[in-house]
Amino acid sequence: MDFFQRQEIARRNTKLLEVYFALAVIGTVLAIYAGTMVFVNFQQQQDVNSDGTANFSLWDPQVFTLVSLVCLCVIFGSSLCKISQLSSGGSVVAEMLGGRPIDAHTTDLNEKKLLNVVEEMAIASGTPVPRLYLLPDEDGINAFAAGHTTGDMVICVTHGALQYLTRDELQGVIGHEFSHILNGDMRLNLRLMGIVFGILSLTILGRILLQTRGRKNPLPLFGLLLIVVGAIGVFFGKLIKSAVSRQREFLADAASVQFTRNPEGLANALKKVGNSGSRIDDPNAEDASHFFFANGLTESVFNWMSTHPPLEERIRELDPNWDGQFIPVHPVWNETTAAQAKQPPSPTGQDGLQHLGNLVTAQAFPAAIATAAILSQVGTTSARHLDYASDVMSKMNESLTDAAHSTMSAVALVYALLLSPDETVRKSQMEQLQANPIIAHETERLYSITQTLESRARLPLATLSITALRNLSAPQYAQFTKDIRAIIDLNGQADLFTYALQKIVLRRLDPHFNPPQNRVPQYYAIKPLLPDCAVLLSAVACAGQVEPADIQNAFNLGAKQLDDPAHELQLDTTAYDLTKIDAALDRLNQAAPQIKKAILGACAETVAADGVIQENEAELLRAIADTLDCPIPPFLAV
Amino acid sequence: MEIVLILLGIIVVGALVVIFYVIGAYNNLVSLRNRFKNAYAQIDVQLKRRYDLIPNLVETARGYLQHERGTLNEVTAARNSAFSANAKAAQNPGDPEAIKQVTGAEAALVGSLGRLFAVVESYPNLKANEEMIRLMEELTSTENKVAFARQAYNDSVMVYNTSRETFPSNLIANSFNFTAAELFIVEKPEEKEAVKVSFT
Repeated sequence: MDFFQRQEIARRNTKLLEVYFALAVIGTVLAIYAGTMVFVNFQQQQDVNSDGTANFSLWDPQVFTLVSLVCLCVIFGSSLCKISQLSSGGSVVAEMLGGRPIDAHTTDLNEKKLLNVVEEMAIASGTPVPRLYLLPDEDGINAFAAGHTTGDMVICVTHGALQYLTRDELQGVIGHEFSHILNGDMRLNLRLMGIVFGILSLTILGRILLQTRGRKNPLPLFGLLLIVVGAIGVFFGKLIKSAVSRQREFLADAASVQFTRNPEGLANALKKVGNSGSRIDDPNAEDASHFFFANGLTESVFNWMSTHPPLEERIRELDPNWDGQFIPVHPVWNETTAAQAKQPPSPTGQDGLQHLGNLVTAQAFPAAIATAAILSQVGTTSARHLDYASDVMSKMNESLTDAAHSTMSAVALVYALLLSPDETVRKSQMEQLQANPIIAHETERLYSITQTLESRARLPLATLSITALRNLSAPQYAQFTKDIRAIIDLNGQADLFTYALQKIVLRRLDPHFNPPQNRVPQYYAIKPLLPDCAVLLSAVACAGQVEPADIQNAFNLGAKQLDDPAHELQLDTTAYDLTKIDAALDRLNQAAPQIKKAILGACAETVAADGVIQENEAELLRAIADTLDCPIPPFLAV
Repeated sequence: MEIVLILLGIIVVGALVVIFYVIGAYNNLVSLRNRFKNAYAQIDVQLKRRYDLIPNLVETARGYLQHERGTLNEVTAARNSAFSANAKAAQNPGDPEAIKQVTGAEAALVGSLGRLFAVVESYPNLKANEEMIRLMEELTSTENKVAFARQAYNDSVMVYNTSRETFPSNLIANSFNFTAAELFIVEKPEEKEAVKVSFT
């Protein structure tokens, strides 16, 4: 099952979720109505009829209308409220639980270790580096990821996890979280949270009413009723959550092993959880319980409604020979030296030498990497990619990685990576930057250092800068975007690689400054998108080829992949205009997953038309995929 | 009876709308406040780096500046008070008093550092000292980073203060004790001197 199918399934599950929710709401409204009727009848019993009989009515349309109106308002209102609160991104969940951001230039060794593990994983999977948060008051070992798209992710780790887990174990946990991210589970989780909050809000309202005072006040009784009924809502809520999240935990565990090729790391982490627990003390833990890596609530009789499969089962899946003993925990700070925090452990076993051989990447890749292979790589990663990532990171000049982790120099670093190698062009680009002489000076300083950088390290370096760049204020970010635009315009059409680089950087920063609208696919058929596809394919064809005949040939190869019976797709040589391409990509991003798969396949065919995929073409392909929210891991030599 | 029911319904819906608006506005203020507090953390990191560099600077210069001990002590004292003021402000960037303390201490530190650098100019041996050159360069670079982080912080504070003061969110801000945040502005000592006007 590939990335695109998983996305489709995640979307369908969201719809299913909404059905469950509707049923739960109906059940709750009926329960409240029944309770209210009992209450009303009890009142009416005080006045007996003239003939001595009491009136019991089961159906009172006025009461029913009132009750359902209030209930529906409260439920939907609070759901909408919560959903809109969560729409600004995953950091809302982290802050709700008391999290604080982990700084890019942290000096705490454990935090640095986590940062390095996460950065490696991000480079290995082609996703942006998620925002990192720490729960400083939680001693249990736990973690979670939240966010709407891959560009807007937050990973939050407890203090206990940082203290008690070794690098390998941390990598296993982060791999688990990344698999959730790549599967599109996160959007589902956020929606779930918003919806279930609606049902829970009745209990909250009931509690508030319970505290009102006054003689002959029916409100506290009504409040009690709401709490009792709200408990039904909580029951439904737990049921929905567990139905959705249990199976995915096993899948995420399996995916983590696939990413790291190290089942021991994750298994040991789980064994440590067995000992030190994973409970989250914050009162908001119930709301977010389905996000966590391990069970964040206390074990109860209602285990069958738990959001996670039992711990022992998970450990046995990973380590069939487990002896049933949990691992005692102790702080690992004494094992972590500064060097260890940075360097990964060397690859083990005979694969070691073979690994290193494969890491030497050629400048061009034979197009024998079939299009199908490229598509199957989308949204996944592997241990080879992880080794590649740590190799790239360890070979980078330390002053460059330091610059990437500090906001001001990160800005200068991005500018430096985009500057043209041609001196005259570069001079005019530097003139554009003179408005802020401090940054201009830093850019020049970093430019000379980037000359020594391997070309395969340029994109990873830009990826590493994202964390620090998130600290820009809104006006600073606006200036940043303007300056980048100016530099790219001066680079002209010749430079495809820098276009791809700046596109990736801005795409990854944008969700932080302009919260993403919850994008529902608007295009389920490719026909309305054909003009945009034409623009995209033409641009890609022109980028890789020089001869008009070759360009046309490349274009045709790509166009064949798309369902175009009316032959609307025509090569457009004026399409190589950056604003046009941007607009086309934005529209194409609203297509359903299967359509995106076809579009990516077409682009891959066009790129591979001349039999070789150049490095800049590969990066362009990754940039396009990134814009369509379909991350592609780095290309490795076969 | 019908009219009463309809009116009741409208009142309930109206009340709920107001409640949800209040919740939304409150959350917005909280998020803006978190943002500027986080922006202060960025300043904090750079300031700490500066405070770490200064004792090295003083030690390196001490051997050469036997007769300028006053200036060196001034720098050390200013650095220490700025360090503690910053530590307090980092605990609670929402406290305007704490921020005022830091900006005041920073102004004093910048002033004394300026005087130290002026003195160093007349000691060519010290100026050529490699360690001195390295430290001064790092100090300049850190200074630039502080300026950048300060700009970001002030931007976030402005957004927060505006939201806090405009109607109708100011009603919610006042009911829930959202205090005004202080901008981080370090006054340059030269600007404080009276302008001398000369007609010669």
